[in-house]
Amino acid sequence: MEAITTTGTFFDGISARPRSVTLRLTFRLDIVGEDVARDWSLLDLRAADAAAPLMRVNHAQGPESVEFADEAFAQALMARCPDLNRTEGGSGVTRLVLWSIAAGLSVLLTAIYGVPAASGLLAPLVPQAIEAQLGRSVDGQIVTLLDDPPLCNEAAGRAVLDRLTARLSEGMALPVAPQVSVRRHKIANALALPGGRVILLSDIIAKARNGDELAGILAHEFGHVAARDPMRSVITAGGTSFLLSLVLGDLTGSTVLVTVGQAAISAGYSRDAERAADAYAVAAVKRAGGDGAALAAILERITDADDEKPDGISFLRSHPFTAERAARIRSLAGEKPTGSGILSEAEWKSLQGLCPEPAKPEKAKPEKTRPNDGKSPTPTEKL
Amino acid sequence: MNQAEGVPSPAPARTGEIAFDRRAPGLVGIVVKGFLLSLITFSIYRFWYITNLRRFFWSRTVVAGSPAEYLGTGKELFLGFLVALAILVPIYILLFVIGLLSPILATLAAPISFIGLFVLGQYALFRGRRYRASRTRWRGIRLGQDGSGFAYAGLASLWWLGTIVSLGLAFPFMRAALERYRIDHTLVGQSRMRSTATGRSILMPWMMFYIVALLPILASVLALLAASGFDVPTDLLIQDPASEKSKLIFNPDYADTPLVYYAGAVGIAASVSIPLALLLIPYYRARETRTFLNAAHLGAARLNSSLKARQFYFPYLVYMLALIGFILVLGIILALLVPLIATNGENAGIHAFVIVSTVLLYLGAILGTNVLYVRIVSVRLWHAVATTMQIENLPALEAVLASTRAPASGLNEGLADALDVGGALEIGF
Repeated sequence: MEAITTTGTFFDGISARPRSVTLRLTFRLDIVGEDVARDWSLLDLRAADAAAPLMRVNHAQGPESVEFADEAFAQALMARCPDLNRTEGGSGVTRLVLWSIAAGLSVLLTAIYGVPAASGLLAPLVPQAIEAQLGRSVDGQIVTLLDDPPLCNEAAGRAVLDRLTARLSEGMALPVAPQVSVRRHKIANALALPGGRVILLSDIIAKARNGDELAGILAHEFGHVAARDPMRSVITAGGTSFLLSLVLGDLTGSTVLVTVGQAAISAGYSRDAERAADAYAVAAVKRAGGDGAALAAILERITDADDEKPDGISFLRSHPFTAERAARIRSLAGEKPTGSGILSEAEWKSLQGLCPEPAKPEKAKPEKTRPNDGKSPTPTEKL
Repeated sequence: MNQAEGVPSPAPARTGEIAFDRRAPGLVGIVVKGFLLSLITFSIYRFWYITNLRRFFWSRTVVAGSPAEYLGTGKELFLGFLVALAILVPIYILLFVIGLLSPILATLAAPISFIGLFVLGQYALFRGRRYRASRTRWRGIRLGQDGSGFAYAGLASLWWLGTIVSLGLAFPFMRAALERYRIDHTLVGQSRMRSTATGRSILMPWMMFYIVALLPILASVLALLAASGFDVPTDLLIQDPASEKSKLIFNPDYADTPLVYYAGAVGIAASVSIPLALLLIPYYRARETRTFLNAAHLGAARLNSSLKARQFYFPYLVYMLALIGFILVLGIILALLVPLIATNGENAGIHAFVIVSTVLLYLGAILGTNVLYVRIVSVRLWHAVATTMQIENLPALEAVLASTRAPASGLNEGLADALDVGGALEIGF
């Protein structure tokens, strides 16, 4: 075999002292210097990373190494040493990539299907005291989010509301007795919180035309309480956002992805919860002697038509489209009963007086703020 | 790097040069591959990506004719990360539950977890450095680091406390003390490095930064505090009732009090000083790096750095220009896409195409900035620090003997990654 020679530097791996040597490549590598004489098998040579023309070769057994800067010699060495670039343990990028994808997908599937299912099982196990405590702190957060709206407590209206609450929850298997509070606010909405808390915003009373409509709204929220939806959404929100940030954690822009992903997952899950609560409300209102279809009427009235166009972010909606909901509610409710409704005309009048207009007009508040618009993970079930 | 330097001459040189090829061929490929694979592997590949980057930078850094070697593997980093996760996840869950259950504790939980994670972060930084040192080899000699991560975290926390109490004046002394701790626990083979870094030696650059950037803000804030009797009204800034709720304006109720002047002074000081501070950071960092490098020695061998501040400005300047050009290109592509959205929003095919191309554009933008950053800023900073450095009295360095110490475990760096402290490449020692 043709012999190639070059000059290089030998290191014994014990000290950093360089020793000039002559390298001679045949079917072995001969290293000869002043006080060095090595005869290395080509199978034992391992190249270290280095920029051409510099080359560094370690001996596979032992600490010795040589360095040289000769491109032709490096080429010849590469051609003759089969294991020159072998790394112990192997790299296996393809295998790594496939396993990583499998692991990531498994976490994602757990976030999408596993966590909502687990939260359904876990929510009833949460001790009542803890849920009540959680409800209190969420109540505080919501009130702050809504700019501290005042409570409405006109005695006559309050008494009607309490009677209505009692009549609606009579036939329901509620885990706790619901606590309904009414706050003055310009948004027509109602929220169910952990611990059986329900917040009615006064504008929904103003927009309701009769007692059955308000009863429908209230029964819908009680439906959430019965299904423990607020507690479930707390667990789901925490679990999915944790898992998503785990798998998407270190990618740039991941916070956006985590938020969107979490909203999509919890929204898909809560659309089902909304349909169940609607059905629950229809049944409860009918049982109490009211018109179950009234819920559909008020839903249609308070819905902003612009919000209802299907578009790119439809999958982020926490609630089904109102038209679809109303159709389902009407088909469930069937015929309108002959009675005058749940509340008498007088009762309805005093309930409407629950939130009298304040004596002096409030300062102009920003009109179109929509608190908790699916952006914050505050655990509530809106209407 | 030229070829003559590749092989040391037989006569032992007195000084050793450090070379780094700034053209860095092959680097872009590593970044693109690393980014794309990280993307599809839910960022698990990043440990292998970091390893590849380090192998590249280490092996292209030629110290006195011999390239450095990086011996770490992605698997070690990944396992270390998993272990760190097992420690951190229960802590995070506990904090989450506390935050949910008790609003009072929740307000306390934020500062407590911030302090806890800060101390843990310092610990992780030191341990990460131990990992990197023990995976670095030069001429067959491994580097190493001893000392305790807890001691370092304690030292760093106390110094930070002192820095805050002294309104930032102790900062250079803190930097020097931590540098001394790090370097004094760095080993090359069996030989220990020493640092004579002092806070006084970087006092001048720090004072310059301090007076221009921090003092106006501090002084005006203090004046505001003094004027209000150390009881600033919480409603000094209120939401603008006229516009969107996120905009803050000065509360008109305080318009006639002297507070308005002081608050105005804070605003002006901040708007002048913060840009100046950003401009002066590279200057301070360059001065500090040079001073600290000059203070490091190993026996009779010393480092000698002639780093110039402009060498730290230039990379950022080039990076900014490159970024502007890149954004222009992206803007043109976007401008071509917008008419498509405007004219034919109903068509489902066009709709899908717009969404797909937006996602691709977004990913391309991140990939592009990553490539530009590594290619321009990392490479040029590394090059500046490496090539302005010389080793005086090289024979003393060549006399070091290898150590028989076992290399540190890969678990050392996991915590740093899980806490997101410390980068893949740190300039300087």
